[in-house]
Amino acid sequence: MKKYLVLIRTGIMDKLNFRVSLIVTFVGNIIYLITIYFLWKAIYLSSGKETVNGMTFNDTMIYLVLATALFNMMEIFLVWYMGNQVRSGKIVFDLIKPIKFGLYMFFGQLGEVVVNFVVIFLPTVVIVYIVTGGGILAGKNILLFFVAMILAFIINYCINMLVAALCLFTESSWGINIMKEVIVSVLSGKSIPLAFFPNSIKSIVELLPFQAVYNTPLTMLINNNLSVENYVKMFGMQILWLMVLLCGAVWFWKYSLRRVTINGG
Amino acid sequence: MKKRNVKFYLAIYFKIISQDIKSKLSYRVDFIISTMGILFTNIAGFITFWIIFKNFDNINDWNYYEILFLYGFSLMALTPTQCLFDNNWNLRDYVYSGDFIKYCFRPIDLYFYYISEIFDLKGIGEFMMGVGIIVYAWINLKYSVTILGILALIVMWIAASLVMAGIMNIAAATCFWMNNSGYVMVTVFKFTEYTKYPIDIFNKGFRIFFSFIIPIAFVTYYPSMVVLNSHNLPILTIIAPIFSVLFFYISYRIWMFGASRYNGTGT
Repeated sequence: MKKYLVLIRTGIMDKLNFRVSLIVTFVGNIIYLITIYFLWKAIYLSSGKETVNGMTFNDTMIYLVLATALFNMMEIFLVWYMGNQVRSGKIVFDLIKPIKFGLYMFFGQLGEVVVNFVVIFLPTVVIVYIVTGGGILAGKNILLFFVAMILAFIINYCINMLVAALCLFTESSWGINIMKEVIVSVLSGKSIPLAFFPNSIKSIVELLPFQAVYNTPLTMLINNNLSVENYVKMFGMQILWLMVLLCGAVWFWKYSLRRVTINGG
Repeated sequence: MKKRNVKFYLAIYFKIISQDIKSKLSYRVDFIISTMGILFTNIAGFITFWIIFKNFDNINDWNYYEILFLYGFSLMALTPTQCLFDNNWNLRDYVYSGDFIKYCFRPIDLYFYYISEIFDLKGIGEFMMGVGIIVYAWINLKYSVTILGILALIVMWIAASLVMAGIMNIAAATCFWMNNSGYVMVTVFKFTEYTKYPIDIFNKGFRIFFSFIIPIAFVTYYPSMVVLNSHNLPILTIIAPIFSVLFFYISYRIWMFGASRYNGTGT
C-alpha cells in the first residue's frame, strides 16, 4: 500500500512543480468558457426559445462548464507518454520496475488528478454554485457524484490504457491519440450535451462507455430529480463498462507485451 | 560567399523538406493513421455542427451554409501551419533537452532552418476536406463563381495562414522563457477551434481581444467576409493582408529574440 501512496505523492509533486503551467491552463480555461458562453448565448437568442430539448440556457451552461472542468481534471497524457517511451526505448525501464506497469501509471496519474481536482474542479463547482445562486443543489448528489467520478476516472484510465497499448504496435501515437480524444469528446457529451443529440444517435451513444466518463457524473451532480431506478441504471452501466474495460485493458496489455520489440537501449 | 536571396532559400528549403518527406514516406502506417486522425477530428467537428443546427436553424442570423463556409475556410487556413510550421510543436523538447543548439550553428537563418526541417504531410487531408466543404457551401449559398472572387479568396487564405502561423510562433517561443510551455501551445491551439464561429457573437471587449490580442478572427472570420459579405466589406477584411504580413514578421522577431536568449544546457 505504501508504494502506491508514494506514487500518488510523486504525481502530486510533479504537477505542482509546474505552477506556471497551472496558471496558463487556468487562464486558458476561463477564456475558453467565456467563448462557450457567448456561443450558446447567441444560439439561444437566435432560436427565440427558452428551453430546447428540456434544457434552458442556464442548464446548458452549467453542464458545459462542469463538463469542461471535469475533462480538464481527468485529462491524462498516458498515450503521449507511452508513445515517447516506446519510440525512445525507455519503456524498458518502466517495465522492469518491481511493480505492474498499469498500476505504476495509474497511481502516478491519480496524484496529478488529485491536484487537478483541487485546483480546477473544486473552484469551478464553487463558482458555478455562487453565480447560479444554487444551480447545483448540495445534498446526497454530491456523494453520488463523487462515487460516479471515481468510477469514471477508472473507466477513463482503462480506455487510455487500451489505446496506449496500441502504441506498442505502431509507434504512431499522434494519430491514435487524436482519434481517441475526438471519439471521447464527441460521444461523451463533452462538446454538446447528450440531450441535443438526435434520438436515434442518442440511444446508441448511451450504450457506449464514453458517456459514463463525463455525462454520468455530471447528470448526477446537476439533476436532483433522478429516481432510484435511474441511479441503478447509471451506476450499473458504469460498473459494467468498468469491468469489461478493465479486463480488456489487462488482457490486451499482456498480449501486446509479448509482441513488442524495443529498439536499441 | 553565395548571395542569400529568395532563390537560395527556396532551393535549400526544397532540399531539406524532400529529405523529410522521404523519411516520412518510409513510415506508411504512421502516415495513414495520422491522416485518419486528422479526418476523424474534422468529421467530429462537422458532427458537432450538424447537431447544433439540428436543434437551431441559425446562429446570430448566420445560416447553416454560411457557418459551414467559415468552417471550411478555417480548415484551409490551419493547413499551412500544420504542414509547414509543425516543428514549432517540438521546440520545447529541443530547448529543454539542449538539442536546440545544433540549429544555432548553421550559417542560414535560424528560424528558417528550424521550421523547414519538418514537412507534415498529414495536413493535406485536412486541406482537401476544407476545400470540399467550401465548394459545398458555396454551391448551396448560390454565390456566383468569378475569377476575381476566387483570387480574392486565395489572397485571403494566404493572409489567414500567415496569421495562424504567427500565433503558433509566439506560442512556441514562450518556451525560451519558461519550462513546460507545452501548455501554452495547447491552450492557444484550443482557441483555433473557435475560429470557425462568427466573431459577432461576442461582445465588444472580446471582439477586440480576438482581433488584436489573440487574433484568431483574422484566421477565419475577416478573411471569409471577402466572399460572405462582399458587398459590404469590413475594414478589417481590407487590411487583413497587410496585418497578416506585419503580424507574422513580429512573431518571427519574437521567436528570434527568444532564440537569441538561448544559451544551451551546458552539455
